[in-house]
Amino acid sequence: MMTRNQAWYVVLLVALLMTVPEGVVAAEQCGVCHPESRVAFAESIHALEQVTCTSCHGGDAATQDVERAHRGSFRSLRDRLATPAICAACHSDLKQMSAYNLPVDQYAVYQTSQHGMAVAGGDPRAAVCIDCHGSHEIHAADDPRSSVAARNLPGTCAVCHSDEELMGHYGLDSGVVADYEAGIHGQSLLVAGNLAAPNCTSCHGVHGATPPGVGDIDKVCGACHVQTRRAFLDGAHYQGMTEAGIPECESCHSNHAIQRRDVDSIDTLCADCHGDGSDQVLLGNKIHTLIEAAAAEVDKAENLALEGQRAALDVEDHLGRIEEARTYLTEALPLAHAVSLEPVEQVTRRARSIGEEVQHEIYAKLDRTEAHIGLVVFWFYVFMTLVILFMLKRRMSSGGEVT
Amino acid sequence: MSRDKSRILDWFSRRLNLTEIFSLLTSYGLFYAELDTRKHLREALDEALERPVVSYGRWPRVLGLIVVVLIALEILTGALLGLYFLPTPQTAHASLGTILRDVNFGWFVHQIHFWGAQLLIAVLIVRILRFFIQGVYRPPRELVWVFAALLLLVCFHLDLTGRALPLTETAYWSSVRALEVVKAVPVYGAFMIFLTGGGELFVTDLTLLRFYVLHVALFPALAVTLIYLHFSTIRRIGLTEGAGDKKRVGRAALRNHLVNLAIILTILFAFLVTLAVLTPLPFQREADPYATVPGVGPPWYLLAPFGFLELTSGVLPQWLAGLVLFLAFSAFLVLPFLDRFRVDTRRRWVVPAIAIAVVVAWVVLTIYGARVA
Repeated sequence: MMTRNQAWYVVLLVALLMTVPEGVVAAEQCGVCHPESRVAFAESIHALEQVTCTSCHGGDAATQDVERAHRGSFRSLRDRLATPAICAACHSDLKQMSAYNLPVDQYAVYQTSQHGMAVAGGDPRAAVCIDCHGSHEIHAADDPRSSVAARNLPGTCAVCHSDEELMGHYGLDSGVVADYEAGIHGQSLLVAGNLAAPNCTSCHGVHGATPPGVGDIDKVCGACHVQTRRAFLDGAHYQGMTEAGIPECESCHSNHAIQRRDVDSIDTLCADCHGDGSDQVLLGNKIHTLIEAAAAEVDKAENLALEGQRAALDVEDHLGRIEEARTYLTEALPLAHAVSLEPVEQVTRRARSIGEEVQHEIYAKLDRTEAHIGLVVFWFYVFMTLVILFMLKRRMSSGGEVT
Repeated sequence: MSRDKSRILDWFSRRLNLTEIFSLLTSYGLFYAELDTRKHLREALDEALERPVVSYGRWPRVLGLIVVVLIALEILTGALLGLYFLPTPQTAHASLGTILRDVNFGWFVHQIHFWGAQLLIAVLIVRILRFFIQGVYRPPRELVWVFAALLLLVCFHLDLTGRALPLTETAYWSSVRALEVVKAVPVYGAFMIFLTGGGELFVTDLTLLRFYVLHVALFPALAVTLIYLHFSTIRRIGLTEGAGDKKRVGRAALRNHLVNLAIILTILFAFLVTLAVLTPLPFQREADPYATVPGVGPPWYLLAPFGFLELTSGVLPQWLAGLVLFLAFSAFLVLPFLDRFRVDTRRRWVVPAIAIAVVVAWVVLTIYGARVA
């Protein structure tokens, strides 16, 4: 005899069994023979979105009969060159992609890229979708497990682009990824873990991968370095370099092994092209001096402000102004790309005057002269007191009041 | 004028035993002579002023008096600081800023309070060394030593609880390091951590309030009591051998002695003021409990135990190192009862030798502790 509670359990169990979807039990028999593919696929973003084996491969997933499974619409996809069109079947369909807010022009863009054009020319070694994204184990691009996630991407490109033999075939440099990794962008992304730092696709495009040509480099770099590009376009270098066919940013900063050029390098960098003792080198020295001198004043002001803080002065306002001066200093280097004194002078003058102003104010507040004068006066009284006490002592002992 | 004064004195004398009240002061080392409490205050004072001063109370043996004066100064400046200080984690640092910046002479009172405390501990250490060298712990002066040693330890606690209060960067981390030392000592450590509301992180919300209560109430009361007991034993049995049996060497009158004291106190005060003006304790940023400040060690007098714990970490289990510390501090307290070689002239060197070894070890460990901190 069941109690009322036990009866309820039975009802609950039946209800639960009824909610299990039919497909889970019946369909997807592919994994019985292809367990590795099945396991890799189960982790992928596609598995989450009800994409199944047959979505790409066709055939009949409901049967365990080998013959019946691999007939009809079935395709093995061993022909790599055919894969882009298969991916595009869904990924170029706005109706399907709009819910994910994904672009649908990747296939079209891909066809304009060096990779896509080579594929169109029948080159079996050119990269197709699965070479970068993987096949069964595809993850969303912002998933850290994805082969195209920001920090994994250089390694993914390196699979082909660091292959000396393969690159030799196209006359390409196989050291570009190693260079990138050594440069400031690579260090920032791979070592410091700054996900906002540029990877290969930031400059070369994603699906439309193409190297930027001379005349376009400043646009590519300028996408992030806005102020620097603006100053560069205003300066004499832009016109001159474009006419002479000299690559713009790359000439001083290199291309893949991007170098940070700090203030100190201005001196030597100018001489590389313009020669020692030239007017341009002199200009470089002046810019260098302007920035250095302003930075020194701001540093001095900050040290003083911190000293003031230890002496219990209220320096919150001063520290805020020093922060402002530092912003001007940060602007100075981008502005130096105009290779002219005036824009740099404008910001360094502001930074410098703030630094000097803050120094003056804190010096005045830190002034301990009054306390020191007070101390001298105090010691004078101490001395007088001591003299009186010693005299008193002497009188007492000579008076012989006590024996 | 002087007749008015004596009239007022007489008025009070009929209603209060002024001599008895005044004799209480003598228990604090200010006035080494005994007073006849049955006599009128003026009479008793006149008599006392003309009496010779015992040798152990005469110049230059004035460290005890300096201790009393410094503690009085600490209580006075501490009370002044207490008028503005707000002991909660949110307001402590800002209220010290107010004291240093906005309150008239607030910075001066704060500096005197700090430097006075450092000087107090230094004087207490010098004094206890003097007691040891001169053997002022042998019968019947065991209690002189015990009370003086206890007073030194209480003053350590006073300084420790005090320097944490403003919650500045160094104060906070210095306290954490100090509590690490304290926690390592068995029984006592657990009790202190419990008392100060410290958990695994040592410093919690309650810690500041507990430190404050200990710093302004419990420990000062303990210190004042210990000073009273300490000077009572001295008045009873004297300080140095030979002088104890009321044998008075030298014939300096108390009147002269008081002038000497005035000279010493003037110099002491001038020294403190100079320290406060020329080497003020910097006002550091507010502590961030989640950002350890490197290079902050415990207070200077705890560097040796800290160095010992650092040195033995990995070699000895922490409880054993703590036990060694516990035994060392206990031995320091009950030294008078350990020195059994006094009678045996051939082995008289044993205790001094151990003591010199301890002092040398203390200095070496202090240097080591300062370097690892």
